[in-house]
Amino acid sequence: MLLKKKKGFLQELYLIEIIKGLMITMKNMLFAPKVTIQFPEERRNYSDRYRGMHYLKATNGVENCTACMLCPTVCPAECIHIEAGERPDKEKYPVKFEIDLLRCCFCGMCEEACPKDAIKLSNIYEMSTTYREVYDKQFLLEQRGNK
Amino acid sequence: MPKCIIDGREVEFTPGQNLIEAAKGAGIDIPLFCYHPGLSVVAQCRMCAVEIEKMPKLQTACSTLAAEGMVVKTKSQKTVENQKSVMEFLLANHPLDCPICDKSGECDLQDNSYKHGSAYSRTTEERRTYLDLDMGPVIKKNMNRCIHCTRCIRFGSEIAEIREMVALKRGNNTEITTIDGRPLETDYAGNYADICPTGSLTIKDFRFKKRVWFLEKVPTVCEGCSKGCNMEIHQDNNQIYRCVPRENKEINHYWLCDEGRFNFHYVEREDRLLDPARTKTSGLEVCDWASSIDLAKAALAGKNIAILVGSDLTQEEAAAVLQFKEQHYSQASIYHFGTPGILSTRDDAPEDRILKRKSKTANLNGLEKLGIRGFSKLSADVTGLLIIRGGRATLPADIDGVEKVGIGVFMKDQALMFSVILPGLSFAEKDGTILNYEGREQRIRRALQPPGQAKGLSEILMMWANRKTSHGAA
Repeated sequence: MLLKKKKGFLQELYLIEIIKGLMITMKNMLFAPKVTIQFPEERRNYSDRYRGMHYLKATNGVENCTACMLCPTVCPAECIHIEAGERPDKEKYPVKFEIDLLRCCFCGMCEEACPKDAIKLSNIYEMSTTYREVYDKQFLLEQRGNK
Repeated sequence: MPKCIIDGREVEFTPGQNLIEAAKGAGIDIPLFCYHPGLSVVAQCRMCAVEIEKMPKLQTACSTLAAEGMVVKTKSQKTVENQKSVMEFLLANHPLDCPICDKSGECDLQDNSYKHGSAYSRTTEERRTYLDLDMGPVIKKNMNRCIHCTRCIRFGSEIAEIREMVALKRGNNTEITTIDGRPLETDYAGNYADICPTGSLTIKDFRFKKRVWFLEKVPTVCEGCSKGCNMEIHQDNNQIYRCVPRENKEINHYWLCDEGRFNFHYVEREDRLLDPARTKTSGLEVCDWASSIDLAKAALAGKNIAILVGSDLTQEEAAAVLQFKEQHYSQASIYHFGTPGILSTRDDAPEDRILKRKSKTANLNGLEKLGIRGFSKLSADVTGLLIIRGGRATLPADIDGVEKVGIGVFMKDQALMFSVILPGLSFAEKDGTILNYEGREQRIRRALQPPGQAKGLSEILMMWANRKTSHGAA
């Protein structure tokens, strides 16, 4: 059987308990360190190993990529499409290099597979857009993040 | 059968077999570069050297015949050390440009390096480089990758019967090249790339098109001539990338001619007609299947008809045509066509001493066996022609002036001579049986899904037979 404990008038009002609770709230609100940041003005620093948007590395203006197709081979999401070609200054180069970021799962295996240090994942994590297209070679060459 | 002992296992062999073949029969792989079962033995690469009991030195397995009671060790310490040294020696000057090499994925050097080589290089010296000359339209040479196995030289002199590849200079400076840097002349040049154990000789047509591990391999038979060479179609995503020979010791051994190898290109030509169409004075007009079949029936209605079947059809298709003729055009005469000047198997003869034959269609013999005669001349009383072919048979000349309906693979410029065209399937898109010149029954297999609106011949004939129209020829 549930026994109801008799309370006094002040206790019935709960005023003291409310003030006690508010004290904790005020203490946290005014004096505790903040965990959120003012996002667009302030940026959080991610670790160097963070896997964000891809970019293609270039050396002296020439893309490192030789279109060896190891990244589309290893890619579990099948989001990389490369077409290889030949030009006078480079025996094999990617004519097309497209990444469908909608399919990408940012596992970073392409970066790991690349023998030429050409495809990398940057620190860029703001990739939301109202529409999303397949990123082509030119776009990927321009992306660098903070690397 | 005599027996020898390889790696502690008793292995049966036929007298005269070398150790590589004997070991292969027992499922033991001996690594090799210069040995090829279709070529003579030179024992140059030293990779296949194995330890044999009671012999003081390692013996090359390709040049050592298996003998009764021989005890061979292919994985002993001495053998493995030798393999490691040979790999290091061969890789000392190899550019290791596997990322841009078309051979990677099916490269003997790559495979053996993984299996038997070392993952580290001890050399820091510059690698030997060559300037490459053009080798004609089929083969792209990259001499830097060469390991001097001389398979290509031996293939030229022994199989292709033309000594066009030679080894110039000696030792470290050896260069494999054509005489005077001339382009390759043989019609079998594609095989140079197939037998090359590295990426020194690769096929220009396939260059950078696809990495080999993406390709799905469909075993089929070449439709290029009546020889019936076995080959594989390599396709990915419903597109053929190349054709390579498939071993068949009875017919083509390990080889394939360039004509058969590159024959598949017509399947994917831009101007191939993929929709049923009719010709008007202004050109081709695409229609749907139902109305085009009505048009085709109307075009042949009340005419004196001859049916011409290409000898590139399969047995199943030809039988379906015969049945169709019996039931719907029983008065019509039926002939086969395929190669100008080849009317029957009697005219068919070898074109060279290697593989090619004169009949440029695969199933000439099969159609003869079904009792279809060759087409020589249009008889005067024929007023309508139903022409059925795959994509390989050459359309006969002198068939102007009559109403023509075509079923099969046609290019747009060929299509203009027909009043109605019903698109059919090429050899890569259908299953079927063909008979080669010696009567050997072989199966061709579907590698691609039918493109566009093209349909199989039996389906087209069925639609033709079942469609009720007022024209009423059927």
